[in-house]
Amino acid sequence: MQWTLGKKFVSEDEIIKETGLFLDYDEIARKGAMTAEEKNISKWYGIYTSRQPGNHMARIVVPGGVLTSSQARRIARISEDYAQGKLAITTRQCIQLHWLKAPSLSDMMRGLAEDSLSTFHGCGDVTRNVASCPLAETCKYKRFNVLPYAKDTARVLTEARDLDNLPRKFKITFSGCGAGCAQPYINCIGVVAVARRGADSKIENGFKVVIGGGMGWAPFIGKELFSFVPPSKIVQINRAIAILFRDHGDRRDRTLARLKFVVFRKGIEECRRIVLENLTNEGVSTNGIETEDFEDIGPEYPDRPLLEENPIGTDGRTTVRAMIPKGELTNITFKRMAELSEIYGNKRVYLTNRQNIEIHMVKPEKVEALTQEIEKLGFATSGFFGLRDIVPCVGTTYCPKAVTETRSLYDLLMPIVTQEKYKGIWNKALINITGCPNSCSPYRIADVGFRGMRIRENIGSTEAYEIRVGGEHNRLAKKLGEYKKEDCPLVLEKVLDTFLEIRQGNETLADCVDRLGM
Amino acid sequence: MEEDKSLDVFLKAIEELDISYEMAPNPQETSIFTGAATEPLDFKTFYKDIPCQEACPAKTNVPAYIEAIAKGDPEKAYLINQEDNVFSGVLGRVCSRPCEDACRHNWTGTEGPVHICHLKRSASDYKENPPQPLPGWFEDTGKKVAVIGGGPAGLTAARELQRYGHSVTIYERDSILGGMMVQGIPIFRLPRDTVKAEVDAIIDSGIDVKYNTSVDAQMMQGIINEYDSVLVAVGSVRPSNLKLPGLPGDGHTISGLKFMYDYNMGKIGDMKGKNVIIVGGGFTAVDCGRSCARAAKRLVGEEGSVTIMYRRTEAQMSADPDEINQMRLEEIEVETLMNPLSARTENGKLVGVTFQRNTLDDEQSEGGKPRIHAIEGTDEEYPCNLLIMAIGQSRELNILPDGVSQTEGHHTTHDRVYMAGDFNYGSLDVITAVNDGKEVAEKIDTQLMGEKRRSSHIGITFLNTNGETGRVRDHDIQFPVAMPKLTLFERDGTSEVELGHSPDGTQLHATRCYWCHYKFEINQDACIHCDWCIGVAPRDCINRVSQLFYDEDGAVTSNLEANLANETTYIWIDSNECVRCGKCLRICPTSAITMRKMEKCDCNSSELEEKQKDNVPYGVVQYEKY
Repeated sequence: MQWTLGKKFVSEDEIIKETGLFLDYDEIARKGAMTAEEKNISKWYGIYTSRQPGNHMARIVVPGGVLTSSQARRIARISEDYAQGKLAITTRQCIQLHWLKAPSLSDMMRGLAEDSLSTFHGCGDVTRNVASCPLAETCKYKRFNVLPYAKDTARVLTEARDLDNLPRKFKITFSGCGAGCAQPYINCIGVVAVARRGADSKIENGFKVVIGGGMGWAPFIGKELFSFVPPSKIVQINRAIAILFRDHGDRRDRTLARLKFVVFRKGIEECRRIVLENLTNEGVSTNGIETEDFEDIGPEYPDRPLLEENPIGTDGRTTVRAMIPKGELTNITFKRMAELSEIYGNKRVYLTNRQNIEIHMVKPEKVEALTQEIEKLGFATSGFFGLRDIVPCVGTTYCPKAVTETRSLYDLLMPIVTQEKYKGIWNKALINITGCPNSCSPYRIADVGFRGMRIRENIGSTEAYEIRVGGEHNRLAKKLGEYKKEDCPLVLEKVLDTFLEIRQGNETLADCVDRLGM
Repeated sequence: MEEDKSLDVFLKAIEELDISYEMAPNPQETSIFTGAATEPLDFKTFYKDIPCQEACPAKTNVPAYIEAIAKGDPEKAYLINQEDNVFSGVLGRVCSRPCEDACRHNWTGTEGPVHICHLKRSASDYKENPPQPLPGWFEDTGKKVAVIGGGPAGLTAARELQRYGHSVTIYERDSILGGMMVQGIPIFRLPRDTVKAEVDAIIDSGIDVKYNTSVDAQMMQGIINEYDSVLVAVGSVRPSNLKLPGLPGDGHTISGLKFMYDYNMGKIGDMKGKNVIIVGGGFTAVDCGRSCARAAKRLVGEEGSVTIMYRRTEAQMSADPDEINQMRLEEIEVETLMNPLSARTENGKLVGVTFQRNTLDDEQSEGGKPRIHAIEGTDEEYPCNLLIMAIGQSRELNILPDGVSQTEGHHTTHDRVYMAGDFNYGSLDVITAVNDGKEVAEKIDTQLMGEKRRSSHIGITFLNTNGETGRVRDHDIQFPVAMPKLTLFERDGTSEVELGHSPDGTQLHATRCYWCHYKFEINQDACIHCDWCIGVAPRDCINRVSQLFYDEDGAVTSNLEANLANETTYIWIDSNECVRCGKCLRICPTSAITMRKMEKCDCNSSELEEKQKDNVPYGVVQYEKY
C-alpha cells in the first residue's frame, strides 16, 4: 500500500479507513477488479473477497430476518443472474450470495435496490444486521413485539454517518423474552423485552439491555447495562452505546477492538456512566433508565421455546418451518418458499439464526398442505432447534479465514445424530460447527460445539476440531478435547451415548453438564 | 480454583476409543521460556536473531542501546555502550562498523542499514554528564598487573582488570594516553576531548599511569619480576616499507603512521602546491589522503595534487563508500589497480613515481580479496613530491625479553606475560582491540584467581504487551537522513567534519532499527494452522513448514517449506526475516504466539546461580492477550 508515514499506533485498517469509506462500483466494474484497499473498504458495502480468487461474497442486510415475498423473489433472481443460483442464510439472519464477479457488483446492487434491499453495511466496522427472534411478532411467550424496535434501530444506526467508522463490527439483537432465542448474551448489545407491574398496577413494558457479549476468538457473555429502559428510548440508547464503542474501542489492534473488550477493560459501571453521559450529550433524558432488579411478569417461557413444532402464535395462526441443510439453497427453492409464503402465509419469509426459513400466519387447516409442499422441496419440517438442526459456517468452501471444511463434518455428523437411538434426545442438544475461532457459527454456546483446527502429525497435519460441550445461550461450553476429523463422529457418539445414559428428567445436554459441574 | 470435573464422565467414555495422536515435537528456540539461559542453543538463537550484536567484535548490546535512545534515554544508551565497547564516543565516530554490514535492514529493506555507529555517537553527544568510571565487580584482590601500552586494547584491559579488583599500572611511551586514537586517527574525524573524557573515565577508577616511559626488553624483565601479571599491548607500529628503485633519501617518503602522528600533533608544515601520492588502500591511506588535502589547503582544487594509489579496487578498500565519496568531494584522486614500480628524482628531489596497472583475477587470495596481476606495458609516471607509504605495519616484537614469544591467542611462553590488541594479532581496528582487551583481562583474572569469576547468559523476559515494542510499521520504512557534515569550505583541518545527527535524525534512526532483541515464537501445541499470521505478515517471515532440521544443540538450521495445508507440520517464524512488527501476535486467535525480550548479560558467576533460580520452563506461562 501507499504509506503516509503517520507513525501512529493504529492498525493498518484504520489508516485505510481514514482515506475514506467510499467506493464507485461502476468504476470497479470498468476496471474489472478491486485493489487491496478497495477490497477493505468494500466491506462497508457488504462485499467480501472469497477464498476463490476473483470471486466475491455479498451479504444482504435483512433487519430482523424478515423479507417480503417480493424481496425474496428478487434475491432469488439476483442469485440466478450473478451468483450461480445459490444463496445462503446466515446465523445473523442475512442472505449471502457467493461467486460474484467484481464487474457485476454494481448491477447486483442496483437490482437489489429495486426491492428496497441493500448490502450496505453488511460487513465493515459498522452496526451490522440487527437481529431479532424469528417469532418476534407472534410468539406466545413474547412480552411485546420487538421487531419494530429492531428495524428502527437498524435504520437509525445505518443512517448515522458519524457511526460509519467504528473500531470494529457492532452487533445488536432483540429478544421478545428472556429465553435467549435471539442470543442476546453473545451480541454487542442484547436487547431483551421485559414487563413489570407499574406503579398504577398496570403492566409496564420495557427493555433490559445487555452489552459486551461476543464469540470470536475471545468469548464473553454479555453484562447487564440497564435492567429496565422505556421502549421509546431504546433506539437512542443503542446509539449511545455505539458512541461509547466508537470513542473507546481499541484502534491499535483489531482483534481487541470489539465492544466486549471495552466492557472488559472499563468495567460495566464505567460503561454505564459513559452511555448515560452520551445520552445526556445527545439531549436524551435518562429518566426511566434503571439498573435495579424487578420481577419480570410476562408469560412464563420454556428454556428453548423454538423446540415447539408448528407453534401457534398469539394471532391464532401457525408457524411452519423449513430446515435448510447448511443454510444453503438454490434460487429455485428460495423462490418457491416465497411463493409458499404468498399462498399459505403472510407474504413474508422469515430467516432464523439457525439458518432456516419460517412461514408465519399459516391457517391451522393449511399446515398439512404447506408441510407437504415444503417437504417436496427436500426440506424437513420437524426437528428444529435439536440435534438434527446442525449449523455449520461456510468453512473452507468459501471463506478465506476458515481452517476446515465444516460442510464435510456436517455430512459426517448427520448420520450419527439421526440414529433412532437418539430419538429421545433429539430435542435436547444443539450442534454448531465453525471453521475457525471467529465462531460465525457460535460453537461455544451450543450443547456440542466444534471449532476447526489442524493437528500436526509427524510430517504434515490433518483437519481436526476442538470440541466443547455444555454451552447454553448465556453460558459457555467447556472444552472436551481436540480430535482429528475422522474421530469426531466417534467422539460425538460417545458423548451422546453418555448423555443418554446419565441424563435426568427433561434436562438438556447443557443442563446435564451444568449439573455435573455442581 | 477447584478442578472442574463435569466432563469427566464424557472423557471416560471417549477413552474407550483409545484415541492418541503421534506428533512431531514442539520446537523451542531457547532452553527455557524466561530467566537466565546459558545453553549453547540460547546463544545460537540469540546471535542468529541479533546479527549486529554478533558482528560486533565487542558484542555490544546494539538493540538495547538503540531502544534506549529511541525512548529518550541517551544516558542509559551511553552506559550500555561504555560497558560493552568502552570508548563509545570514539567508536561512534570511527568504528569500522561490522554491525552495519550485518544489519537486518540490508536484507529486508532498500535504504541501507541502521546508522548504528552514528547512534552511538548521538548517545555520547546528547547525554548530559561526562563519562564516569564504572563500578568494580570484586573487592580488592591485592594482585598487581602492569599494562604496557595505553592504546585502546591496553586501556580496556586496564579498566576491566581494575574492576576485577586488581591494582593496575599502565606504562605509556607518549605523554598522552589513547594510542592510535590520538596518534593515528585524524583530528577532524575524532575530536581529542572526546578521547580524553573516555580515557579519563578509565584512569579515574584508580589506575596508575607512567607516562613517557618507553619500555624495552630489559625494563620488561624488571616489570615481570615486580608484577603478578604483565600485559603487552603496544600495538603494531613498525611501518611496512616498499623499496622502490630510484627513491631518494629522507624527506621524500614517509610512512602513513608517521605522517598521521605528525599531522595530529600539529607538526606538518605547509604542503601547498605539493603533489602527494599515498600508496595503500586501508584506513591509514584514506586518513593520510584527507589530512594531506587539508594540509595542502586544496580541498577546493588549488595547485598540487593528492592521489591515493591502491592496487585493487574501491570495493576492497577498508573505507566505506561514504568516505570514498567524501574524498572525491575533497578532490582527492583515488586511482585504483595501481602498483608502484620506480621513482625518479631531479636534483636530488623526488619528482615522479611510475605505476603499473593491475587487473583483477577471478580467484581469491588468502585474505579473501581477489588476486591481482600486473598488465605489461601500462607503466606511467605520475608527478610526486612526497610519497606516503601506507601499506600496513607490523609488530615490534623485540620488546619481549629474551626467550619469551607468542604461543597462542593472548598467551606467551611466559605464563604471566600476555599480549593483546594489535600487538596480539597485527593491525586491526579500535573495536577489535577493545574486545581483545576485555578477553585478555578475563584470562589474566582467571589465571590470577584460579577460577572464572564472570559469566555470560542470555536474559529472557516475557512481555505481555500485545506484540507492541514501541515501534510501528511506519518506522520500518522511514527514509534515513544522512549524517550532516561541514561544507567543503568549512573543513579547516581540525574541525570535526561530521556534525552528528540532530535530535530528530537520531530519533528517526533509532526507531528505524527493528529492535531485534524482541523475539516472536509460535507455540506449536497451541497453533491451529489458521494461517492468519501468514496473511498479515509484511515479509516472508512466517511460513508453512513440513520439516525442521536441527543441529547438535537443538537449534533449527533449515526447513522444508510446504505448499499445502496437509503437508504443513508447523507454522514457523523465520526470525531472520522477522521485522518485529508484532502483527502475527496480534492476529493470532489462540494466543499461540509470544513475544519475549532477549539480552546478553554478564555477571559474577555467583550471581548467575541466584538468577537461574527464577528460570521458567516452556509451558508454564499461560496467557490470554486481553
